[in-house]
Amino acid sequence: MKRVRIATLIMITLLIAIPLYSQKLPEPTGYVNDFAGVIDTGSKNQMDRIAKAVQESTGAEIAVVTVETIEPYGSIEEYSVELASEWGIGKAGEDTGVLLLLAMQERRVRIEVGYGLEGTIPDGLAGEIIDNSILPSLRVGEYGTGFLKGVQAVSGIIAEEYGVDLDSSYIVESKKYTRQISSGLSRLIIILIFLVLFGGGRFLLPLLFVGAVSRRGFYGGGFGSGGSSFGGGFSGFGGGGFGGGGASRGF
Amino acid sequence: MVKGKLLGILVVVGIIVVLGVIISGWFITTRNTLITLEETIDASWAEIDNQLKRRSDLIPNLVATVKGFATQEREVFTQIAEARSKLAGATTVGETAQGYNQLQSALGRLLVIVEAYPELKSNENFIRLQDELAGTENRIAVARKRYNDSVRVFNTKIRMFPTSTVANMMGLEKREYFEIEEGAREVPEVDFGS
Repeated sequence: MKRVRIATLIMITLLIAIPLYSQKLPEPTGYVNDFAGVIDTGSKNQMDRIAKAVQESTGAEIAVVTVETIEPYGSIEEYSVELASEWGIGKAGEDTGVLLLLAMQERRVRIEVGYGLEGTIPDGLAGEIIDNSILPSLRVGEYGTGFLKGVQAVSGIIAEEYGVDLDSSYIVESKKYTRQISSGLSRLIIILIFLVLFGGGRFLLPLLFVGAVSRRGFYGGGFGSGGSSFGGGFSGFGGGGFGGGGASRGF
Repeated sequence: MVKGKLLGILVVVGIIVVLGVIISGWFITTRNTLITLEETIDASWAEIDNQLKRRSDLIPNLVATVKGFATQEREVFTQIAEARSKLAGATTVGETAQGYNQLQSALGRLLVIVEAYPELKSNENFIRLQDELAGTENRIAVARKRYNDSVRVFNTKIRMFPTSTVANMMGLEKREYFEIEEGAREVPEVDFGS
């Protein structure tokens, strides 16, 4: 009798313990998930607006997450790719997601870039964004400002890539990284030169095609609304995939 | 009497047919599962291979930048070049892992050397290259985890009865894990302090 009771107890413990163990990752609550409670409301609201505008115009999704600790994961890199993949940040099939992650106890920050944006935000650029936009504010304890600047940089770079216009206050920080994002402008100039030199639309078509293949097309047309179902509330991320691109820093 | 016998035969035949359908259904499902797993393994391996090549392409740039500041550190540059060509010539999973480990320790030495050159450490080009290198390392780690996870499932499945019978008929063999030295796994860090 007693043995049966012990066996039942073990079974119940296991049944409770197993789901607890696998529930290491939090659920998303929106674009900004301040689990560590370090981001001020003003910055949070602004980041929400920016992320929503980026999602609606490009389909790309930006998520901000702060956590107390990344345990039981071994490193912020491991945690970050698991969380981003689990949540599926970014448009499904295009894998256009970016995660900005902060771990308080480990004092580390990371930008995780989805497969589809690895060309737009290479690891080196991700590192630069952390160094120049995020870290200065983190070092003086202004986490909200740091992340807001990070989001403004990322959104501007994505908007440039897609050739869409966002409110200038949404992308103000990205001006620091013009070296990487001048390609759209230079292509426009090349197209204009060709047009001036050769006139007719005969040369315009192949050029546009080249643009669309190498990048994502310069003319924002044909993107429409992307069919998103955002009616004010957050309905989860799109289902983008991640392979470990991005950069990390200690602060 | 005859009618009863006929009914008996029908029942037996029916049971055999039903069993046949169930077994062949199971067979097909199992076969498809194994094929899918093999595909996953191959895809993750392709990703590892891809990232290893990408890293190999990054290294000459990194070495060139370091050389600009630290001309006299010839030994480590030679070690890196050797490990790199070894990795490029690897054909099996085991050889690749070996080349990876060798290159990793040579890179580790390079990064130790870098510590002695503050100007190099704050060089913008060097920082970017090191970020690219760290990113590639991380991608290899992610792909490696996915590869080993699917190999683990695959190897377990093909040895366990009854799946093993299907695996035998398909001529499937155990796949090799991509094992690397744990110490070598440390992603090179860029940390400037404050």
